[in-house]
Amino acid sequence: MIVAAKQQLKMLSSAEMHLLHAGSCELLSRVGVRVTHTGIAKMLLERGAQRRGERILLSRELVEGALAQSARSIHFGAPDPAYSFTINGADNRVKFGTGGQALYLVQRTSNGWAKKPAGTEDLRKIVALCNQLHQVDFITRPVECDLPDDQKDVAKAKIFRQFCTKPMNLANLFKPERLESVLEIVGDPAYLSFIVSLVSSPLTMDSSAGEKLLALVQKDIPVAISSCPQGGTTAPFSEVGELLQLNAELLFGLVLANSARPGARVLYRGIPVTANLHSDASPRWCQPDSIRRLALAAQICRFYNLPCCGTAGVSDEAEPTAQGLSEKVLSWVYEAACGGQYINSALGMLEQVVSVAYYQYVLDDYALKLVKEKFRKNPSLEASQLVLNAALEVLSCFGVQPEEKTEAELLARIRHVENALEPYEEAYMEKQLEIIEKAVHQGSSTVFIKAARKGLREGYLYRGKKIEAPLDLSVVEERLAQGRLAEKNF
Amino acid sequence: MSKDELLAKLEHSIVMGHLDADDEGFDGTMEGTPGTLELLEEALKAEIEPGVLVESFRVAMGKVGQLFEAEEYNLADMLASAECVGKAMEIIGPALQAVSHSTKGKFLIATVEGDLHDIGKNIVATMLKGAGYQVKDLGIDVPAATILQEIRAYKPDYVGLSALLTSTMVEMEHVVRLIKEENIPGLKVFIGGAPTSQEFADKIGADYYCRDVREALDKLEEVSKVS
Repeated sequence: MIVAAKQQLKMLSSAEMHLLHAGSCELLSRVGVRVTHTGIAKMLLERGAQRRGERILLSRELVEGALAQSARSIHFGAPDPAYSFTINGADNRVKFGTGGQALYLVQRTSNGWAKKPAGTEDLRKIVALCNQLHQVDFITRPVECDLPDDQKDVAKAKIFRQFCTKPMNLANLFKPERLESVLEIVGDPAYLSFIVSLVSSPLTMDSSAGEKLLALVQKDIPVAISSCPQGGTTAPFSEVGELLQLNAELLFGLVLANSARPGARVLYRGIPVTANLHSDASPRWCQPDSIRRLALAAQICRFYNLPCCGTAGVSDEAEPTAQGLSEKVLSWVYEAACGGQYINSALGMLEQVVSVAYYQYVLDDYALKLVKEKFRKNPSLEASQLVLNAALEVLSCFGVQPEEKTEAELLARIRHVENALEPYEEAYMEKQLEIIEKAVHQGSSTVFIKAARKGLREGYLYRGKKIEAPLDLSVVEERLAQGRLAEKNF
Repeated sequence: MSKDELLAKLEHSIVMGHLDADDEGFDGTMEGTPGTLELLEEALKAEIEPGVLVESFRVAMGKVGQLFEAEEYNLADMLASAECVGKAMEIIGPALQAVSHSTKGKFLIATVEGDLHDIGKNIVATMLKGAGYQVKDLGIDVPAATILQEIRAYKPDYVGLSALLTSTMVEMEHVVRLIKEENIPGLKVFIGGAPTSQEFADKIGADYYCRDVREALDKLEEVSKVS
């Protein structure tokens, strides 16, 4: 899918982007990242980083050097060459794939929806199903094998080799020492990519993830460097503060990857969501506040002209619903319009990243097709109009007739996504840096939670009404039945 | 200011979650005004008895709980108030012990080995302190041996274990089994964390499963009433 110039949305100005970049660099030079891995700390110090206790401080020059070196273009090969594609930080091509590390599979039963633990057999079936779905451009492993950790990499590689003819993202590499076997099983390293969650927010490098990143980068395998702070618990509740921290965490990853291999083929993967501080601090993946932040992370990545691994479509609903479908449409459109290119987790996901469902994969495949058509047929339509039309049409396709209250709710969400509630100014950013510094030094999430009170009162968390209407899933059932037949052919 | 006025102000500062003069408080406007810690200092200078202070904390937290139930308060408000009480209790703790006022019990809390998540654990620890429990927080990624060692040394009434990863649920099961093998009379084990459930608690022999901090507080109140 190509996003036309008019459809692109820049929610922040270039001046605001420059301020964010400067703020993240300030954070890296002032607070730095906690690195307890001796070898990695030594490598960074040799490249010019400074050390203060366990924290590694990076200068702006070091960060900008890595930004200049990092690969701008990444090719994703596939066993069927027709599925191969290239992601270039400078163009507006968008690819959608699966994702997540779901723990459960949601299935339809005679009594409604039921959840069961997901495992190896489910991975096999989901990969086989997604390989047949036309809107799935690449497959990221949706669930892990229920095997001991030292067997997971090889088992997963075998399943992908057997059932996947599209670009393969194996996500987590459990044991770097299994990488050679994985490459051998898959047959061609060009088919493969991974995800590494390098930094635990706020600003602490995970030593094991650091080792995995180095192992992959040294083999020149594409890696999405991921950071997933939760605004209000592991990052400032403020959007500005959370983006400053997220960007610093990802820039740190870029410095490390390019220290190990200049020109490293890494994707910038920012997942800044909000925490639900009205109730239990659980993450909100697909609410307007999080959709906005995810889209802004994509915009930051594209400001650097880096290949962007976006995240969209991770519904907060526990089962397939009209509400969930509307969340997904908003999330896909804004992520693509703001610069997301290799959009992960786009299909099948429910209940944040906890569950997946066969029904949801097929439902999302239909819905995504409609969204792509909207982009293709309306090159001069702006994102806010396109998203409303797309959401109403998708809901209508599954039996939810457009009503005034549905449209009003969608418009309220769109306003929340597109309107800034905070100033992108130096003094405000400095205040956010101080909150991050305090939280890092006190080592406690309560700093972020307490600092969220003002923002909560000012409505940073969107509180609208759910779109409640039954979905007509007959077309999904039909398609699934065909899918199962095809699955037997493997 | 009379003692009653001072107590009323102290109670109000807790309800507003206003820790000290550096804290912006409930709505971002309270910085520069005396908070719980400054008012507590004044109260101690005025020789208000620790037992009276504890009672005012209890009343304040009761109001906070009601405001949360009514959805006028959110988790951040509740946590800020609990932190005020927790810090205040640390200050008056020695004086309380001297006049033999006991707390509600000792609670040892940890995130099990292999798990680096601390949000839920921190929220529970802060809220328990605010509710009057003596809390020892062992942190994250805590080996089973350390937990057992601390149980023997600290002699808690309750142990709380947190895990956020399916992989570390196995470790949680291991820790619970080791605790139960110690056969410590009256010691109750609470578990929580996103992937855990009542079924899982039953399976591994934990005494209580708590979905969230409110459930943890409610179950603890019930248990302490029984014991």
